[in-house]
Order: sequence, then structure tokens, then C-alpha cells
Amino acid sequence: MRFALLLSGLLLLASPAWALDGEQILRQVDRNLEPESYESYRKLIDIQPDGSQKSYVLWTIKKGRDKILALFLEPASDKGRVTLRLGDNMWLYVPDVGKPIRITSLQSVTGSIFNNADILRIDYTAEYSVVGVQEQGDRYVLALKAKTEDVAYDKLTMTVDRKTLLPVTIECYAASGLLLKTLHFSNVKDFGGGIKRPAQLETDSPLYKGYKSVMLWSGLKKASYPDEAFTLNYLPRVQELRK
Amino acid sequence: MKPRRTRGSWWLLVLVFLALGAQADEYSFDISKYEKKPFELNGYAELKGEDFALNPDGALYKLNYYGQPQRESLTRATETLELAGKLRHDIATFDFRTHSDFQQDQLAYDRTNKFYEAALSLRPRSELTLEAGKRALSWGKGYAFNPIGFVQRPKDPNDPQLAREGYVVADGDFIRNPGGALQTVALTPVLLPVTSDMNSDFGASGHVNPAFKLYALYRDTDLDFAWQGKGSRPARFGFDFARNLKTNFEIHGEWARILDSPKQVTDAQGNVTTEISNATSYLLGLRYLSEANTTYIAELYHNGTGYSDAEADQFYQLVDSAFAQPQPNPLLQKALALGQGPYGRPFAGEDYLYFRAQQQDAFGIVYFQPALFALVNLDDRSFQVTPELQYTGFNNFELRLRLYLLHGGGSTDFGEKPNDRKFEFYVRYYF
Repeated sequence: MRFALLLSGLLLLASPAWALDGEQILRQVDRNLEPESYESYRKLIDIQPDGSQKSYVLWTIKKGRDKILALFLEPASDKGRVTLRLGDNMWLYVPDVGKPIRITSLQSVTGSIFNNADILRIDYTAEYSVVGVQEQGDRYVLALKAKTEDVAYDKLTMTVDRKTLLPVTIECYAASGLLLKTLHFSNVKDFGGGIKRPAQLETDSPLYKGYKSVMLWSGLKKASYPDEAFTLNYLPRVQELRK
Repeated sequence: MKPRRTRGSWWLLVLVFLALGAQADEYSFDISKYEKKPFELNGYAELKGEDFALNPDGALYKLNYYGQPQRESLTRATETLELAGKLRHDIATFDFRTHSDFQQDQLAYDRTNKFYEAALSLRPRSELTLEAGKRALSWGKGYAFNPIGFVQRPKDPNDPQLAREGYVVADGDFIRNPGGALQTVALTPVLLPVTSDMNSDFGASGHVNPAFKLYALYRDTDLDFAWQGKGSRPARFGFDFARNLKTNFEIHGEWARILDSPKQVTDAQGNVTTEISNATSYLLGLRYLSEANTTYIAELYHNGTGYSDAEADQFYQLVDSAFAQPQPNPLLQKALALGQGPYGRPFAGEDYLYFRAQQQDAFGIVYFQPALFALVNLDDRSFQVTPELQYTGFNNFELRLRLYLLHGGGSTDFGEKPNDRKFEFYVRYYF
């Protein structure tokens, strides 16, 4: 009995320490990936089983922990489209339609393996809690659990480089335990302004056998845009924000 | 002894280097070509073919093809070009969208050249935008119908995502972010003048029609209140909302009240009366994404200015009577006028159901999207079902194929349409 009580006490003491370490690592991963408020250019490349490719170029701005929008610059068929995310809410503005419609995080506005949650990613700490940390050689392995049901992936397994505190791979799981996709980060690059992070992300999915999607970063820097930019009424004019 | 490199191994090395070069190239990303330019021009060109199986017994066939040789089918080709441009200077932006098409079938050909939009915008501050010119405003949360679309041309529920022609307006946008539960508030005031030369199809000329929309994002719910003052059209007001109940389940709705709305009603003898009453239109819709990546959209729409089953039946009887007599005759003139007016407008009934299911990346083919949508007149149970195949996997090309199947008996909405089947195919190239 005394042993059981002692064990329970130790576990109670140990759990917050684990959670604290994991949360600290995740917070650092968030900040190492991007400043809290930034702008960047991204290229999304979808590679089909026959090798043919389709690519998208997006200009992205983020403000605070959970406001982000992406303007499509290429291809011509998608130019001028804007996706906006405020916390759990997401909208897509299509110039021809002339008004934003609500979209979901699991859909893909590009039709690729990257879904809207990947394209409009906010801080991991805003969406996930750390439920486990393991040390494996020069890596941490974080087990993350979605804070709410509205998050695109129920669980993540994030492998983090211990030295740089940058993610190496992230496995994304559905609530059923099904592996939805794996993200592979590579090509760590110095963007200037103290930002050094992977410039390339590749993803594959057992649901899309033979397909591969790649995301490239360029021009990532700290930036601050007005709150009004992150509103539905501003979406038709987001293009004018670019310098 | 050093191993001798064969000609084959040299070729292999060259291929590896070429492959590596290609790999590096395909993942290269030079952002200098995406710099913002003072002038931009883009658009699309489209070739469309349509084959109609006509419905010679339909009332609207008889009226639309009156005086033409009787036909069972019609084949139409349409070439469309839309150009969209922007010219920027400091806080000012001039943007435009043109629409040109050339349409030809066995009976006629037609050309259209117009500006859908052409407006000058000024942004003195981030929270304030003022603009004047031709602008296609788009109010309301409905996908296929918009009861609170007070200052816009109606959507085609068969193609709700198509660009539409705007009206000449002066409008503004004032945005505030109070924070907390009320995340955003935005006011959009509009003035829409109508003269004999400008916006004449909006309503009676000689009015500067005021309208506004007040938007709020409150506790993750989109809310709009819209109003249009009495002028070229009767006064009206309404609201809409949209909210995600779950990440993959969205609901939306609209409600509009039109005050003293006139409605022309005919009996089977062609006696037309104008009824004036308040009309209420509303819409309730949902959008659901399944685990299998199928999107379902469903909307129930009540058109307060539409014709009931009994009212529409009187009109169809009038058309039958008009064509049963030697032509031309006075009844036929009345039927033709009503057919080109209120009774002939698309979706002139009272209650409709819109349903659409679309499968993204079907059969594991990325960018391949089959869909099926249906429009049902809930009063007379006639309907249209449309299977659709769309592919957007080729860079900047969109291919779409549709088959419209209409079903309904005599004196029903879809049973009296000019055609009872239509095959449609288009290829669109964006540049």
C-alpha cells in the first residue's frame, strides 16, 4: 500500500515535469520554424505517379498565434484566391465567386496531399498538447494530442532534432489511429534575421500511393500586418498588401 | 589495376547528373518572378459545346422557339474570353474584368462584349476602402441561391461559381477588430443609381438606391445584416449566418423580407393582376465533408416572390390555350410577354431543394472530381439531376463534362422547360 502511494506520488510529480519539458520543446519548435508574425513565399509541388507535376505559389502572412492567410500567385487558374484562418475558422475567397465561403481543415484547396490545415498551419502549441516525450539518440520524439476535435489531425508523432530543436519528421494520425501522412523536413537554410529552419517539406500518404507533395519556403521574415487584413471584407484586396 | 569505365557507365553517370539536375531544378524556387507589378493581366479562354434534346411539348419551348421550325435537338458552340486586369498606383487600384463570347447554333448566332467589372478603389487606411465603378457584389451565404443578394444579379444555380456582371455603384468598406467575442465588424454602404442608361435592368430609373451590409464575426459565427432602401425596387432587409458546427460540418442560412412586393399573376384566360404584399424568402443550408473526402452541399430555398404550383399551372394552361388556337392570337401575345417576364425567369417557383455531392481525388486520381447535383421543385416534385466529371490536373486547364437530365410531367417546373436533356462539355485555359 505504502509502495503504491509512493509510486502514485512520484507519477504525479513526474507527469507535470514531462509535460513541461515537452511543451517547452514544442514552443521552441514553433518559434524556430517561424516568428509568431511573419510573411513568406511558398511553393507547393504535387508530383503524380507518372512524374508529372503541378505547382502552386502562395504568399503567406501570419499574425499572432492563430491568424494566417495565404494568397495564391500561381498557377493562373488559382491566382487571386485567398484562404484565411482565424483559429478554427477557415474561409476560401475565389475572385470569380466574389465572396468567401467556409472551408474545413481536412479539405485541400489545391487538391493535393497537403490539406488546408497544412497550408494554413498555425502554431503547434495552439492546437496540440504534448502527452509524451522520449529521447532517442540525437532526437526527441514528442507525442502530441489535439486540444479539440476541430483540429485536422488527432495525434502527431513529431521527431525533433535535439541540437537545433527543429522537426525532422511528423507522422499525422486520425482519431482511429490511421496514419494519414508523414511530413519530412529537410534542407535547413538561413533565411536571415535569426531564422534558420528547413526550407523543404516533403509529404507522402498511404492514402495517395505513388503521389508526393513538396513545400518549399523562400523570403521568410518577420512582418506585421494590420488586423483588418485578416478579415473577410479584406480578402479581395489582400493582393494590395504585398510590397 | 584500375577498373575500366565502360561507355555504358559514362552514360549512366550522365543520366544520374541529368536526373539530379532535373531534381534540383524542379525544386528550385525563385521568388523574384512573383514581385508585385503595377499592371497585371490574366484571364481564361473557354470552348464549350452543348447538345440539347428539346422538349417540344414544354410551355417554355413553345414560347422560346415560337416562329421557328420545330426541332428535336439543337447543338451549340460557345467561345468565351474573360480578361481580368489591375492597375496600381500608391493607394489606388483600378481593376476590371471583361466578358466576351460568341455563340452559334443551328438557329442563330450571338455575340456579347461587356465589362463585368471596372472600378477604382482607394485605400487611405487599412480599415477603410472607398470605390466607385462597376462592381459585382456578392451578398449572402447561400451556395446556389441568395435571398439577401439585394444589389447583385441572381446566380445561376447550375453554375454558382461563375463570375457575374456587376452594377455601377459607389461603395465602401469600414472594418474594425474590437477583439474578444466580437472578432470583426465591417460595414459596406452602397449607392446604386439607376437611369435609362445605367443599371436600367435593376428597376425603375430616377433613383439612387441606398443599401448596406453589416458583417460581424461573433463567437466563430459569421453574421450579416443587409438592407436596401425603397427606390427602383421595393425596400427590403434581411440577415444571414454561417457557422462550423464541427470542423467538417458547416451550416448557413439567409432570411429576407421584401416590403410591398408587386407580383404579376395570370389566370388561364390571360387576365393578369398585380398583387402587392410583403414577401419573405429564406434559405437553410449545410456543407459536410465525409471521411471519404466527399463534400455534400444541401440547401432548402423558399422564394417568397415565386409562383405556387397552382399559379404556375394557370400560366401553363394559358400557354396551352394560346397554342391550341390559330396563331397569332391575343392570348399568345400575353403568354409570350409573361414567358419573357416573371414566369420565364429561371427558378420561378416557390420551394426548391439543391443538393450536390462531389468526390475529391476520386479513384485515387488527384484533381479528378466527379460530382452529382440535383435541383428539385418541392411543390410539383419535378427535378433536374446532373452528373458531372471535372479534371484540373493539367496545368492551367480545366475540363468539365455534364449531363443535365430533367424530369417532370405536364404543368410542372422542369417538365415545361425548353429541353429535357442537355449534354455539355468545356475546356478552359487560364493564363
